[in-house]
Amino acid sequence: MIDIQDLTHVYPGGRKVGPRKALDSLTLSVREGEFAILSGPNGSGKSTLFRILCGLALPGSGSVRIDGIDLFAEPARVRRVLGVVFQNPAVDKQLSVAENIRLHADLYGISGPEFTARRDEALAWTDLSDRLDQKVETLSGGLARQVELAKVLMTRPRVLLLDEPTTGLDPSSRRNFLDALHRVQRERGMTILMTSHVFSEAEDVDRVAVMKDGRLLAYDSPQALKARIGTEMVVVQPDDAEAFAETLRVELGLAVRRHGDELRLEETENGEGLPMLERILERYRPRIRSISIKQPDLEDVFVHVTSRAVPDHAQAPETGKEAGR
Amino acid sequence: MIRVATALAKREFTRFLRQPQRVVGAIAQPLMFWLFLGAGMGNNFKPPGLAQMSYFEYFYPGVMVMMMLFSSIFACITIIEDRDAGFLQGVLVAPVHRLGIVLGKVAGAVMIALVQVVLFSVAAPFLGLHLSLGSVVLLLLGFVLTGMGFASLGFLLAWGSRTTSGFHAIMMVLLFPLWMLSGALFPVIGAPMWLDVVMHANPVFHALNIIRAPFYGAPADLLGNGGYLTSLGVTVVWVVLSMTLSIKRVAKRERSLAAA
Repeated sequence: MIDIQDLTHVYPGGRKVGPRKALDSLTLSVREGEFAILSGPNGSGKSTLFRILCGLALPGSGSVRIDGIDLFAEPARVRRVLGVVFQNPAVDKQLSVAENIRLHADLYGISGPEFTARRDEALAWTDLSDRLDQKVETLSGGLARQVELAKVLMTRPRVLLLDEPTTGLDPSSRRNFLDALHRVQRERGMTILMTSHVFSEAEDVDRVAVMKDGRLLAYDSPQALKARIGTEMVVVQPDDAEAFAETLRVELGLAVRRHGDELRLEETENGEGLPMLERILERYRPRIRSISIKQPDLEDVFVHVTSRAVPDHAQAPETGKEAGR
Repeated sequence: MIRVATALAKREFTRFLRQPQRVVGAIAQPLMFWLFLGAGMGNNFKPPGLAQMSYFEYFYPGVMVMMMLFSSIFACITIIEDRDAGFLQGVLVAPVHRLGIVLGKVAGAVMIALVQVVLFSVAAPFLGLHLSLGSVVLLLLGFVLTGMGFASLGFLLAWGSRTTSGFHAIMMVLLFPLWMLSGALFPVIGAPMWLDVVMHANPVFHALNIIRAPFYGAPADLLGNGGYLTSLGVTVVWVVLSMTLSIKRVAKRERSLAAA
């Protein structure tokens, strides 16, 4: 659905700063109906990729096909299947919520009963129902963002691009928005590419891409990515952490790390966690308040992947890039 | 496309009405220009061809053109504001023809300008100027074309400006002189040769012509008059040219340096 081939983008730079390579032969594809998250440290090229994908910038080389259409040759056709949520909400602050949604509907040619139905549906998950006549400038940042998201969902795009859409939302509206997004995606088979730094958002998506220095470091399902670290850990909360750590070291010969009042037995190979848990539980049950096996989460993966200098597919990153910043 | 343009123009107009200071500023400044200059120049300044005409009357169509100029400057500043606020990118990624985007902005600016000049037309009878229905139609045509010319030229300039202050500077050194040399302040007759050439090459001179003419000539005479038709033609070319360039500009995407 979204096919990015060998994309390279170089910012011209100015008198004092040299040209900067923001994307470096990036290849990435999102299949139809897939929900993919794009993450990466600040300055990794996510925003550049985003601007190219929504047709605002032309790369130096490479190709992008969205729904089989060449984005650079026929941007107008691509716009018809595309919905975009920007980091900076594309709403008119001087207009009311209702006026903004109306204007957006006009841009996308939605009118009549169809408009009413879609608007109500798009607003259903938001907290905006009693604020429709308020000017957007009087709303909080989170509510303004809800306006943006509602109007994009209203257009029912086949491909949806979102640039850190949940920035500034409180946890409950973030949850509500993501639920709405997942629901709409399932119902309509929408293809979604979303940039995000919030890894809790990435846990239940189809694939997660990690970028750094304009290259793709990893791109896989969250499960596969986590498996890449290849470890699980047993976490124990005993009554007396100090004493129990000593017991485990001496009696079982385990390497124990203490985190506050919990003990972590890290670097456990996959599949070894459960037997270990059983063994500990069997022998020391009265001294243990809780015990569990923890999977490394995506945040661990992100740190693990981005801290390595060399990307998956060999080739050391070019030198001089850091100086160009 | 018409629907997109209408929706965007309506937004423009709604915003205008919600900023009372903008309404006041856009009308009050040209009005003050007219009153002060008219009163001050009235008795001391009689260039050739102005013998039977008060400066108030001479300057009157010029002030109308000035109103059109100012309201398009204000309207085009919103392009830069829209970009900073993020609104513009939302419009750019929408599946709308680029002409709709340009037309929406231009139509909004023209509507705003029309409200002002029509209000200002109330002064005409006091100057002894009376218009037939046909003349009113020609005058409105002049207003619309001039407004479109200024707005689309402003659009073109604003699109490339990063800051509102930068845009303002460009407008002041480019558009304001075009107005000054249009014959709005002083007649072309008797100007030095070089100035005469510059003034005739100036589209605003022709725009002023098609706004001034309906006050003095019968519609039928004007439509048979070579000078009037030339000015009409030049103004239309001005509008079409700046609109076309604006559309090109909007469709242009920021480029990468050729990949090394």
